[in-house]
Amino acid sequence: MAEPMNEEQLKALQEKLRNMSPEELREFQKKQCIFCQIISGKIQAKKIYEDDKVVGILDINPANPGHTLLLTKEHYSIMPQVPDEDLSYISMVVKSMSNSMLRSIDAQGTNVLVANGIAAGQRAQHFMVHLIPRKENDGVDFVLPQRAMEQNDIDAIGNKLIAAMGGAAGKEEKPVSPVQAIPIQKVKAEVMKPVSPDKRIEPKKEAKPGINLDDISRLLGVK
Amino acid sequence: MAAKSKQGCLVCQIVGNNIPSKKIYEDDFVLAVLDVNGANPGHCFVIPKNHYPILEQVPDLEIGRLFQVSNRVSSAIFESLGAQGTNIFVANGTPAGQTVAHFTINVIPRKENDGINLQWQPRQLSEEEMSTIELKLRDQAKNIGDFKREEKKPKIAAEKQASISEEEEEYFSRQLRRLP
Repeated sequence: MAEPMNEEQLKALQEKLRNMSPEELREFQKKQCIFCQIISGKIQAKKIYEDDKVVGILDINPANPGHTLLLTKEHYSIMPQVPDEDLSYISMVVKSMSNSMLRSIDAQGTNVLVANGIAAGQRAQHFMVHLIPRKENDGVDFVLPQRAMEQNDIDAIGNKLIAAMGGAAGKEEKPVSPVQAIPIQKVKAEVMKPVSPDKRIEPKKEAKPGINLDDISRLLGVK
Repeated sequence: MAAKSKQGCLVCQIVGNNIPSKKIYEDDFVLAVLDVNGANPGHCFVIPKNHYPILEQVPDLEIGRLFQVSNRVSSAIFESLGAQGTNIFVANGTPAGQTVAHFTINVIPRKENDGINLQWQPRQLSEEEMSTIELKLRDQAKNIGDFKREEKKPKIAAEKQASISEEEEEYFSRQLRRLP
């Protein structure tokens, strides 16, 4: 931990930050960001996946063994800053990584969690996706309360959201035009393809052979 | 585009307008709906129109789109509801808290002290345990494929990947009957 700054230093820093251009500010944040230093290798971490855009590391304060943080290599503070293309890319990695957890560490399910803002539990100024392997009765307890909404609120809140989304969804007489939809070309579907059987690492003899989607989906079952 | 729906699936009935809902966003693949029993007012769920029970079965094209729309719903929540934060939350599989066999992304508006707890008690793992997990996961993650190399390859039909076998469908329908 660095020494806390005295008042003069703090003032000087605030002054410096005020005068920075957005680019300089981002560069500054990047230098301060512990996850950017992990990505560049200046700080050690257990990397389990890496490509041009994304790094996956094990969380050192995991909810469960195998709890993984998927980070964009580019520094974004929160999800709304992430370009669509990068977001769809990272979501494909999330999917594949979740699959890996079901196959390699006997996870029976996974949670995907993104926190935007301190009120949502975000602790670091670097966009990341938490991927948490789950088992029955593992002690992790994410329960979302259910709060019934009044009809007035449903209409008021719903209409605000519809307006903010820029469309008129759900009104049958006025279907959402394709123009309002996100252009599909932005989604880079072709970057990933299923691994062909010959490229797969052969399961070791003691490992369960030939786990397939059928087996995985069976994990959905209760008891 | 007619969605591949599953009889008896509550979410598919919302997609097919058999159950009324407050729709926030809709396109060919994705639907965003206001959860009227949400964790906070403005809680939305973002769903694929096609029926896929779990994350692993959603084709890449559609998963990318689902997250893009979730991000837009999250931004809309910030802009229009004055939320202090948002969570994107997926429960994938019953042990992870999934209650309906149709893949769902929750987008939840957050305020301080709103009574929602998505925190966890950090576990202390030994260096050995961490290294074992690291090796296992890294080894399996090799199967994710070489993104860079595959970028140049021709498109693959999302439909083909999405196909759910008869056996799976039979299994899922059995699961659905168990749901309340």
